[in-house]
Amino acid sequence: MSTLELRRTGTMLTVLGLLGLVVVYWLSFFWVSTEASQGVAQRIFYVHVPAAWTAFLGFGIAALASGMYLWLRDERFDRTALCAAEGGMIFATIMITTGPLWGRIAWGTYWTREPRLTLTLLMWFIFLGYFLVRRSSENPEKGKRYAAVTAIMGALLIPFIHVSVLWFRSLHPQPVVLRTDGGPALPGDMLTLLLTSLAVFTMLFVGLFMLRYALEGLRNDITLRARKAVS
Amino acid sequence: MSLYLQQIKVIFWKDLLLEFRTKERLIAMAAFAVLTGILFNYTLDTTRLQPQDVAAGLIWMTIVFGGLLGVGRTFHLENQDGAFQGILMSPTPRDAVFIGKTLANFLLLYVIALLVLWVFTFLFALEIGGSIWALLLALALGSLAFVALGTLFAAVSSGTHMGETLLPILVFPLLLPVVIWGGVVTGRLLAGRPVSEVVGSIRLLGAFALVAMAAGALLFRFVVED
Repeated sequence: MSTLELRRTGTMLTVLGLLGLVVVYWLSFFWVSTEASQGVAQRIFYVHVPAAWTAFLGFGIAALASGMYLWLRDERFDRTALCAAEGGMIFATIMITTGPLWGRIAWGTYWTREPRLTLTLLMWFIFLGYFLVRRSSENPEKGKRYAAVTAIMGALLIPFIHVSVLWFRSLHPQPVVLRTDGGPALPGDMLTLLLTSLAVFTMLFVGLFMLRYALEGLRNDITLRARKAVS
Repeated sequence: MSLYLQQIKVIFWKDLLLEFRTKERLIAMAAFAVLTGILFNYTLDTTRLQPQDVAAGLIWMTIVFGGLLGVGRTFHLENQDGAFQGILMSPTPRDAVFIGKTLANFLLLYVIALLVLWVFTFLFALEIGGSIWALLLALALGSLAFVALGTLFAAVSSGTHMGETLLPILVFPLLLPVVIWGGVVTGRLLAGRPVSEVVGSIRLLGAFALVAMAAGALLFRFVVED
């Protein structure tokens, strides 16, 4: 895809995603039935879970693309990793702000020493490191490699962090859609809304990713041209 | 293979010799360990608090902070006058350089870890009720995991203008398993629990150390590349 096409498709998907977000908000406030035990607070679920999914998608793509970059040294992989990590960071921030808001009402506390909370917060910090090493390297090529190493190290050790935090009893609600025993345990309208919201968030992520990717490409072109002009 | 081991040994001895001649990092880390122990001894009200309940966590946090102090400066001397370029230009493979440097750092940190253990048992009058050997093994595996991460990211941070201030941000999120399992083992052994209760955690510490070493050895070449 050319940069122009990327920007067009990206803009389209982002606008569609934002419109979809309005629909998701409307549905979660006025349409979906109220959950019996948690009450209205449960409605934040339709933002929290899709944000978590998108954050993990972004971080996953970033780690994979980082590995590909170190292997093949293609700039496009580095650009993919950077843009996916930025998207992941945004949605991870949404996840770790909406979670405590719900937790305050459902658990009676904003934060608790709970595996999934700790894991996502640590992932947020791993990617904070990813951006910091990139920014603070004098040589941008070095910065790209450092960042890739950080992302890969994070991806390799995440299973250990996960196992280690599981040592503490889990308070977090268990999965309700992808369960090992049987199908989804959500009532029809809630499941419909959740899946809609997942689609909307993914669309928004892909749209933002494409826009960001095109921007990074343009930035690269400018640097190249400036370098040519100097020489 | 024997050449590879030889190369690791050369790097290992070189780093230890450098440290032995200057003693900079060792003195800084040892002083840090003792002083931290003294400060903790006065900030915790031991009349209301059972020291053995908090000692395990404090021991590991002191090792981590003290370790960061020394491991963060792994490449400090060599980055001056381009000495590290010389090492990279030698026929030694990059992973051998990493393993040699990590093992040298490990020895250094292990000495500090033992000192920390002694300082805390001395100042807080702790009894090691359980197996001392299991505790020493857990300290060794935890230190190894820490220096593997620390050496890799020390190489990363020494290439940035943020330098050592970046190191905790990169290392701490990945270090959580070490302090959790290390803390569990230390706490239980201090309380005199049997070894069978901590074998699982020690195994996990070992697995973590192994993965961290292997990943570090694999990724190091991308960090030091020109």
